[in-house]
Amino acid sequence: MSSKEAFIKIIQENEGLIYKVAKVYAANREDQQDLYQEVVYQLWKSFPSFRNDAKISTWMYRIALNTAIAHLNKEKKKGNQVAISEGLVNRADPHDGLAEDRVELLNAQIKTLNIIEKGIILLYLEGKTYDEIAAITGFTSSNVGTRLGRIKQKIISQIKK
Amino acid sequence: MELEEMKTLWAEMSVEIENQKKLTGSLIMKMTKTDYKNKINKILIPEAISSLVCLAQIVFILLNIQRLDTWYLLVCGITSIITLSLLPILSIKALRNMRSVNISNNTYKQSLLEYSKGKIQFVFVQKLSFYVVGILLVVVLPVMTVLLGGKDPFKGNSLWIWYPVCYLFYYAMAKWVLKKYLKITDGAENILKELDS
Repeated sequence: MSSKEAFIKIIQENEGLIYKVAKVYAANREDQQDLYQEVVYQLWKSFPSFRNDAKISTWMYRIALNTAIAHLNKEKKKGNQVAISEGLVNRADPHDGLAEDRVELLNAQIKTLNIIEKGIILLYLEGKTYDEIAAITGFTSSNVGTRLGRIKQKIISQIKK
Repeated sequence: MELEEMKTLWAEMSVEIENQKKLTGSLIMKMTKTDYKNKINKILIPEAISSLVCLAQIVFILLNIQRLDTWYLLVCGITSIITLSLLPILSIKALRNMRSVNISNNTYKQSLLEYSKGKIQFVFVQKLSFYVVGILLVVVLPVMTVLLGGKDPFKGNSLWIWYPVCYLFYYAMAKWVLKKYLKITDGAENILKELDS
């Protein structure tokens, strides 16, 4: 399998991951689209340096989260967006079968968190262990635990308001 | 909504996303080629245009420097050239500070540190550029009056009318810009504090 085919396969298998990162970090649909493309581009750029000894999802999360941070610099410097696909632009929000208000509440609560907390909660919700979160973020496992405790408190206080 | 409830809902949402997969191979490869064009549009063109405007003004003053025939006009001319040269340098420096974090190798924490520090430095350089523009405004007005209007502005009244008009505008801009910068710096400093906690 060529590296191009391998890359396509990895992206297709993990496109949900990119979608969720873009959803958490981008303010609106247009920005989400822009960030989505940027993540794929950065993954492609970093793909030659990817070593198989690392878990593919760990590598992808790291690149995607770092791209989201770098993307903050570009938010207000929007140029012409390259139209890549109607399919991506019109991708339905993934809550057809779910109670819409619950998904909205979930997104609203994540949006209230700061950028550090967003990264940690995203990985936690994705089912990563404290050690995995620590490996991706660079915080220690115990610090991840402390931060998650704070996030929990923050969410509880949000509900009480 | 508690964390555990969020996690359950997230998992349900993830299943729906998995069922909606849309990316084709050609679309993925198309996305890997889009960034270059975007970067050119977003950053380089506006910066290149403003640098060219500065350069054009420098050349214009240099070509006509013999027309600045008094010592004070010459001082204004030379100061204009210096400040006009400084502006593109500061702009490049600001861009370097804003350069992308090391996406391939950094951890999330390292990227946030670089991002926040870069942002604070960027604001500092932008502020400095703004003050340089303030100085430029003082010196370039008489120079351009001579070079475009042919009259020594210090010998008439017109210059003293234009200064308050320009500075009123500059003051309004300064208030707005500095308020905006303060907000950006506060945001970046808060991230740094949070990273330490």
